Amino acid sequence: MRFEVVKAIYQAGLEDKRVCFVSGDYGHANTEEFKRDFPGRYFNAGMSEQNIIGIAAGLALSGMKVFVYSIVPFITLRCLEQIKIDVCHHNVDVTIIGGGGGFAYANAGVTHYAIEDVAALRALPNMKIISPSNPTEARLLMQALIKVGGPAYVRIGRGKEPDFELEYAPEIGKAGIVRSGDDITLIASGAIITEAIRVRDMLAEQGISVEVANMHTIKPLDGDFIRARAGIRKAIFTLEEHNILGGLGGAVAEELAELPQRPLFKRFGVPDMWPDVVGSQQYLRDAVGIGARDVAEKIRDFLR
Amino acid sequence: MSEAIDTAAFAVHAKNVRRMIVEMIYRAKCSHIGCSLSVADILTALYFGVLRFDPAHPDDPKRDRLIMSKGHGVAALYATLAERGFFAREELDSYGTDGTRLASHVVRNALPGTETSNGSGGHGLSLGIGMAIAARNAGNGARIFVVSGDGELEEGSVWEALLFGSHHGLANVTMVVDQNGMQSEGSTETIIGIEPLADKFRAFGWDAAVVDGHDFTQLIPAFSHSGSRPRVVIAKTTKGKGVSYMENKWQWHNSSPNDEQYKIAMEELS
Repeated sequence: MRFEVVKAIYQAGLEDKRVCFVSGDYGHANTEEFKRDFPGRYFNAGMSEQNIIGIAAGLALSGMKVFVYSIVPFITLRCLEQIKIDVCHHNVDVTIIGGGGGFAYANAGVTHYAIEDVAALRALPNMKIISPSNPTEARLLMQALIKVGGPAYVRIGRGKEPDFELEYAPEIGKAGIVRSGDDITLIASGAIITEAIRVRDMLAEQGISVEVANMHTIKPLDGDFIRARAGIRKAIFTLEEHNILGGLGGAVAEELAELPQRPLFKRFGVPDMWPDVVGSQQYLRDAVGIGARDVAEKIRDFLR
Repeated sequence: MSEAIDTAAFAVHAKNVRRMIVEMIYRAKCSHIGCSLSVADILTALYFGVLRFDPAHPDDPKRDRLIMSKGHGVAALYATLAERGFFAREELDSYGTDGTRLASHVVRNALPGTETSNGSGGHGLSLGIGMAIAARNAGNGARIFVVSGDGELEEGSVWEALLFGSHHGLANVTMVVDQNGMQSEGSTETIIGIEPLADKFRAFGWDAAVVDGHDFTQLIPAFSHSGSRPRVVIAKTTKGKGVSYMENKWQWHNSSPNDEQYKIAMEELS
């Protein structure tokens, strides 16, 4: 998704002189074009996340449209207070692009796992949280987000996420239906949508028809969609590559909890403990119980 | 300096500012009096002798900006803005009351002239640097002044911003350190020593000037300096300046005067 997102920002830079890009030394060559073509609007501020967010906010307070780019754990939690005050309280046009959401930096270890970011940022007024599921969607959502502007946080992968065709036009704030189904709805967000699709295929073999919904916009949450599904489904499930607390599942639970009548509901996410295992992204997903096999099995048991 | 500085006029404004500070904090019984009194002359020098702005057009992109990074000194900022005509002085009477626009740390746009929200240390310089880049790109001549405390320099983000500022040669930024030498629990040097401070800034690639922070003939030329590098003005100040029993007493970091103390303070500032 990284290349699609940076490309969309480059395109915006061509069309709008206010577009600035501040990197936390995370370019790996894919920001070269922006740097070359828009001098004075590209800065690699090095590893100084608090400073980066402050500079971005200062630029935006002077009318610029700013994109910030680094690895999720550093550009979200390390500088959380700058995001809170300098960006969200000032309510300025800063979009934070975080690479490596969830376990995308799988074998990098716990410093690089990014499974608390959504919970932390969701509590900040004015913040939008976008979590695209694949490169095509990342491109389309970025194009839409650029028009709307920040404060925003875009949680992307590390690159090389599998692409697949979308049967809907992604719209910020609106859930997309990735696969249709009739019995239950499984809501997922981000690259883990591929596991949700596998869950659907596994359960289909057992006669359970699963709708897979993509909640690419975690904030503002598509409450209309959740309420609509609550009225017609036997059960709703959420799946996320994030701590079980405070992320997509928490957001959906908050919505459901206030309804007079609701279907069965269960969240799948990373248990609230340190995932002290190292391996591939798939290995980690399986190890913490958010791999397709585990999820399919638990859904089947839950429905019995 | 092409013209002499009318120190008497500045002194009158500064005295008015100090009286307003004492009045506000005495009435409200809240927030930081010592560090508001220490920064009063700095803000007076900036708002009456240095900054280019039009209070009637507070959003003019060409305006010079002042970021009150030491947001806990906000009483001094409110008083100076009122003295300078950004809003009516009566507004200050609401300080510390329910529903007031005047928080005890800076809130952006709560009042005309409050550029950014500051109250957590170490945010202001990065904000100022972002504004400085935008001003430089626009070529509009706007200058950015960031007023920091000396205790605030304990925040690591300040030093990240200093590295960036010199690397990019942002000569339109001036950081002003209100070096009153004290913070919440005592003297800054005994808590976390920061000296030799000017050497540290110079080692980070900034020009550094050390001036008497209560002498307008030193402050104004230091703020009006132009060069090719960003600049720090270390203003040596006295915490609680102008009220004898508060001067150099860290206990007055954020205490409020009682009736008797208030009377003495206002007499000394008359």
